[in-house]
Amino acid sequence: MALLQVKGLGKVYNTKLGMRQCVALKNVNFEVIEGEFVAIMGASGSGKTTLLNILASLDKPTSGDVLLDGKSFSSIPDRELSQFRRRHLGFVFQDFNLLDTFSLKDNILLPLVLMQTTVREMEERLMPIARQLSITSLLNKYPFEVSGGEKQRAAIARAVITDPRILLADEPTGALDSKASANLLEQFSDLNAIGKTILMVTHSAMAASYATRVLFISDGALFSQLYRGDETNREFFERIVSNLSVLGGADIA
Amino acid sequence: MRTLRKFFYFRLAWNNIKRSRITYLPYMIATAVMSGVFLLIAGLLLSDSLTNTPSGRTATMMFGFGLVVYAIFTFMFMFYINNFLIKRRKKEFGLYGILGLDKRNIGRVLLWENFFVIGGGILCGIAIALVFGRLLFLALIKLIHAVPGSSFSIAPVAYALMLGLFFAVYVVTSIVNLIRIHIASPIALLSSEKRGETDKKGILPLSILGLVLLIGAYYFAWTVDIPGLAIGVFFPLAIVVIIATYLLFLCGSIVVLRLLRLKKSLYYQPDHFVTISGMFHRMRQNARGLATICILSTMLLVTISGTLSLYLGREEMMQGMYPFDAQVYVPEDATTEQIVAYDSTLQALAAENNVTLSADASKLIYELEDGQEYAQNDYVWPDSVFVDVPTLIFFGRSFRMDVSGTEDDCLSFIQAIRDHYSESFSETPNLIVSDIFTARVDGYGLYGGLLFLGAFFAVLFLSVAVLILYFKQVTEGYEDKERFLILQQVGMDDQQVKKTINRQVLWVFFLPLAATALHMLFASKIMAHMLKVFQLNDWGLVLMTIGASLAVFALLYLGVYQLTARTYYRIVRR
Repeated sequence: MALLQVKGLGKVYNTKLGMRQCVALKNVNFEVIEGEFVAIMGASGSGKTTLLNILASLDKPTSGDVLLDGKSFSSIPDRELSQFRRRHLGFVFQDFNLLDTFSLKDNILLPLVLMQTTVREMEERLMPIARQLSITSLLNKYPFEVSGGEKQRAAIARAVITDPRILLADEPTGALDSKASANLLEQFSDLNAIGKTILMVTHSAMAASYATRVLFISDGALFSQLYRGDETNREFFERIVSNLSVLGGADIA
Repeated sequence: MRTLRKFFYFRLAWNNIKRSRITYLPYMIATAVMSGVFLLIAGLLLSDSLTNTPSGRTATMMFGFGLVVYAIFTFMFMFYINNFLIKRRKKEFGLYGILGLDKRNIGRVLLWENFFVIGGGILCGIAIALVFGRLLFLALIKLIHAVPGSSFSIAPVAYALMLGLFFAVYVVTSIVNLIRIHIASPIALLSSEKRGETDKKGILPLSILGLVLLIGAYYFAWTVDIPGLAIGVFFPLAIVVIIATYLLFLCGSIVVLRLLRLKKSLYYQPDHFVTISGMFHRMRQNARGLATICILSTMLLVTISGTLSLYLGREEMMQGMYPFDAQVYVPEDATTEQIVAYDSTLQALAAENNVTLSADASKLIYELEDGQEYAQNDYVWPDSVFVDVPTLIFFGRSFRMDVSGTEDDCLSFIQAIRDHYSESFSETPNLIVSDIFTARVDGYGLYGGLLFLGAFFAVLFLSVAVLILYFKQVTEGYEDKERFLILQQVGMDDQQVKKTINRQVLWVFFLPLAATALHMLFASKIMAHMLKVFQLNDWGLVLMTIGASLAVFALLYLGVYQLTARTYYRIVRR
């Protein structure tokens, strides 16, 4: 069974006066299998952020449903949603969303603390992750003391420390320069290599070329998808770009 | 073209104020309260009706002093608020600069804005003064027992003084703002809002110093028991306490939080984790503001409870100062015959004025040294201290007597003594009668006026404290908004987030209040000793007035908390 199932997802926003309706998503269907690294590409306004918010259970669809491990999001009461999010989903955001009042270490530990993990277990979980993301020496620094790339790595550490079923990333390289972006995407690939399922929303073909599969979304609907097969990043990148030109949007970076 | 340009700055300024009314409104309210209260005090001070009241002169003098202090305070506070607001807007000015408005243009917009806000505030202030003036005047008349029929009007001079003061405020704040704009480059203005903070060194010794100073000051205040000394050390002690308060809020809080953070089993609890870190952040940013609030509230409470104690305890003070209702001195060269004869003159005057005289010798215990007892039989002592007179007591060159009758009759009796004095002793009646009745009338003016002034300052301190709190809450609201969102995304639920933020807000609010209560507890004893100088020996009364004013203050504070907490949540949830 697929890890994540998206079934007939639709989202309609009503404008304030209810005069006009804005269709953000219409009948989106796809599945993500455990261990995949999926990128969702689309131009601005194509509905990809709406899609990610629904997958993150931060927003509710107007039609259709999302299932994680066969459990339907709509069956979870509102009260338990944040707990569900905490346990099963990890997030990486475009602008890091680290709390400036916490050191990097505390930022990373935040979800564990919320889950009332013991101090010993926290330390045990923290060290290997910090090593993998090479931020061991930065743990006691505050967000404003480190670079954007380092902040994003801390954000990844925070996302994966709970060992979530799936890692959701919203334009994770959006606020980074190209070198830091490449570094970060390598980290994603490494995480994927050790079995993490990743779903990343991006408008950058470069970022998407690190994925194992790319879904293209346009005007709120799934447009096409590409599998990497055993291509190199370079080859996959070329293919994504040519597909994008068919789609007629998204920048190439 | 010129007029069009002018119109543009005018409009831009107007729109800016409308857009950021959540920060400008309090500034305007501050101006309104400050100018209104100033106008009231000045109006009272300069109105004929007050000077004409029996004890008006004493009250006028005190109000004059109060007005000067008030003006200085107003000036400093307006300056503070202005700086606070302008700092928050640096980014906006940087943006204007980049959009092509040069510094001169921005300056012009700022001048207009400042004009609107202060001008609007002053108009509201005048309205406040006119509405509440009459009410306050009536209260004052009642407090100082002035003659009924006095009317209230604000003298034109008072308006002129108020306008002068706020014109000065306008000019100075405008100049400061213009200088601020001129020295900064757009880039510096743009990036000035986000600045990190690290743990500073030297915090531990400073907080230990603060603790030592505070304990020392408390110990001194609690143990000093010589009234004269109490007055002498009160202000130095107050300064030490102020310094200690700042040190403890600024450094001590950080040390405590750091210790809490070191205790991992405590720190890494969902409830404490966010709170402790949040407090770190808040204390670093707001310690000074909180300490200021604590100091202001302490000053407020000392003023109000001190003046209230004096007002409520005035009868006791009078009784202490005047064991006998009246004391009539005779000239040094008066013969025993004259003295004895004067006894009957006094009785005759008393009968004329419908009062009866009495003299209880046991009251002399106050004045005689231990072991000496008044002996009626000793006709004249060698040093002529006692003279045995038929009905009253004569001791130490003066008659002692208690007078009973209506207050008015007693007063006219005293006046009658003054009038008839020269007939008996052929000497001008100067300082020959010292009596509780005149003292009472003066006391109403003095202590009533003091209480009134105390209340005025209480209003002043309170509004300043409230405004500081409000500004803090608004600023924090904007900062917490982001944090609130992130916490939700990381998986904290709505309830939890609300609870943690609530806890932090509570701490921030009630830390100053708790510190104030502690300060007041220790101040109560030294205040009681100070009041002994006024013959008011009643720690219980002082404790009671402190308790009452603290309770009222806490209630008001709670109200403010509710109000600002609502604004805060509105910002956070938007």
